[in-house]
Amino acid sequence: MSKHSLQRLTASPAVGVASRTLAAVFGGYALAACATTALALWLPAAPATAVITANLLSFLIYTVAVLWAFATRSAARAWVGILMPALVLAALAWLGGPEALL
Amino acid sequence: MTVIAVTLPLSLAYAGLTALALAMKRHHEAAIGAKPPATRLRAFRVAGWVLMALMVASCLRLWPTGLALSMALGLVTLAGLPLVFLLPYRPRLMVRLAPVLPVLALIATAV
Amino acid sequence: MKAGLRQSMAWLHTWSGLLLGWLLLAMFVTGTSAYFREEISLWMAPELHHSQPSPDTPALAWAALNAKAPDAKSWDIQLPEARSPVVQLRWQPDTPQAEEGGRRRGEQAVMDAGTGELLSPRASRGGDFLYRFHFELYGVPRIWARWLICVATMFMLVAIVSGVITHKKIFKDFFTFRPGKGQRSWLDSHNATAVLALPFHFMITYSGLLIFMVMLMPWGMNAAYEDGWRGFFQDVFPREEPAAEGGAAMPMVDIAPLVARARETFDQPVRRISVDWPNRDNAVIRVSTAKDPHITDQRRGGNPTLVFNGGTGELLETRPGDEAVPGAFRVYNLLVNLHLARFADPTVRWLFFLFGVGGTAMVATGMLLWVSKRTQQLRGKAPGAALRLVNGLNIASLTGLLGALAAYFAANRLLPVELAARESWEIRVFFLTWLLALGHALLRPGRRGWIEQLAAITVLWAALPLLNVATTDSHLFSATAWRTGALAGFDVVCLLMAATGGYALWRVVRKQPVRGRGPLPQRRTVEDGA
Repeated sequence: MSKHSLQRLTASPAVGVASRTLAAVFGGYALAACATTALALWLPAAPATAVITANLLSFLIYTVAVLWAFATRSAARAWVGILMPALVLAALAWLGGPEALL
Repeated sequence: MTVIAVTLPLSLAYAGLTALALAMKRHHEAAIGAKPPATRLRAFRVAGWVLMALMVASCLRLWPTGLALSMALGLVTLAGLPLVFLLPYRPRLMVRLAPVLPVLALIATAV
Repeated sequence: MKAGLRQSMAWLHTWSGLLLGWLLLAMFVTGTSAYFREEISLWMAPELHHSQPSPDTPALAWAALNAKAPDAKSWDIQLPEARSPVVQLRWQPDTPQAEEGGRRRGEQAVMDAGTGELLSPRASRGGDFLYRFHFELYGVPRIWARWLICVATMFMLVAIVSGVITHKKIFKDFFTFRPGKGQRSWLDSHNATAVLALPFHFMITYSGLLIFMVMLMPWGMNAAYEDGWRGFFQDVFPREEPAAEGGAAMPMVDIAPLVARARETFDQPVRRISVDWPNRDNAVIRVSTAKDPHITDQRRGGNPTLVFNGGTGELLETRPGDEAVPGAFRVYNLLVNLHLARFADPTVRWLFFLFGVGGTAMVATGMLLWVSKRTQQLRGKAPGAALRLVNGLNIASLTGLLGALAAYFAANRLLPVELAARESWEIRVFFLTWLLALGHALLRPGRRGWIEQLAAITVLWAALPLLNVATTDSHLFSATAWRTGALAGFDVVCLLMAATGGYALWRVVRKQPVRGRGPLPQRRTVEDGA
């Protein structure tokens, strides 16, 4: 595929919508999952309470991610806005909780 | 028994919503007619919120806190429905019902 | 398309709503019916309608189980209450076969609360079929169905939030309803049912996701507990395991004094009696009462209970049943209990039913608005295939589903009691009727289709109370139905459904369709070009 037609393809609105949809549905879920894990491990409460609180918030986070994916200026920003926080939260989750800092 | 008890918060919600509706110029003109001054609109708005607060209080008397607050939100919905349909068809009736219904409900609960 | 937040939210709202709107309609209709699941199940089992609780009921239940399963592994007796006038007997036989496959298979029976006679209600899934359809459909592998339902729920959550963001004048237009203006009126109805009941819609959607949180978002549990959700549940609901083996045979005491003692201790009616190792020397009897419900209570257990030694009747333990629940759990419990309308007394239950109807109206008006808007844009030209498809699916998922529901209830009265696989046949009637309605709707996806289906459901729902008169003796003109409230209530709702269908039919028939090209007439509306 020539550079010119590739440019045209990525500029087409259909591709933009598809990209945003993927970011919203799968990226959003990943963000919510990372957030749930990080919150469950890092919240200063008994494990059961931390888990429940994390789960209570998880669907809000997912919804906000979906809205962001479609409200933001471009599909690229959609991906960045979702994946960056997801990576940070994933790192926190990987650390395993406040004990890791001790 | 709860059926009668529910009429009080329900009628207060209706009165409160009616007052809030009348606080909007468009609906005020449709229901009462004549151009309302800003002070009258504000008076309706204050009255509306006071009535809503009374409604929440009456819910708290009927049910434990969690359920009471949830029911308060729900009853606003139920009170709003007839209002939304009365407003285009029978606006004057809608207004007249506003003071009457809570009084009837008070009598019914006292009895 | 991306010219502004409102526009993107409007786009998101329309597509997330439309694509899964039909499934959401079905979920709302079956979910709303599920608020009266027990009442529907009772209506569909006329053999149970004459049961009347009496002070002897616990003793009768005790005698029945002693006769039927004296050396079972465990007993469970559910005593009558407002929503169910019969006694539910359950027991676990102490045989190797009963432990097969890792899942304990128990047995059960239904008993008349007044006479002690074991009843054989006609085989029917009753209200449980609709309740289960609401969250796991039917005939589809359970996990797939639940995931689909949850995806639809997530779409709805997105639709709600994007709808609020895109509704420019949400406060100014709070009370606005302009009747008789075609698409504008549909928009106003959609806004009214959506905005007025916004707290309910948000609650029902969010709590729906929370109910399935273990399936949807197990990551927190898996990280915090070694054995994931099992560890979590063991932490939150520690279970006591019964003794592994039954002891030597030894008859148990009478149940009546124990029931009386529980009733006195907690000042509540006794609801449940469970026994580990009945008629053995290590028998344990637990007598539980009802409790003053709090909407933040846990779903399982927590009822005031007295624990007795089965052989001597000696009180072993008193559990008042009120345990402090930490804040986050109260929020979870509140939301879930609201979704299920647990602890709702009859008035509150009817209110929730009304909210459910409102939710159904919200989804339905949204989908009708979609069709109305695009039909209006056509300005009298014939609709294309896509629009006809959407209109057809709208008809099938609204009047089609409501017709199938009436057919399900009619089948309960009409199918022979002795029919083999009767349960499945009732359900088949439901799906066949729905399929028929779908076919009809796709063939006539326009005003005619609506008129015909509205007429059909008016007739079907009106027929149900009549069928009741013809086939049972707990119909609207009998004392039995009014004694148990729920039974009369069911027939009354049928008549209300018929009245609503008739009214809708009248409205649609009155509105004349406009043919041909040309500008839109001022007051009339174009529903479609059929």
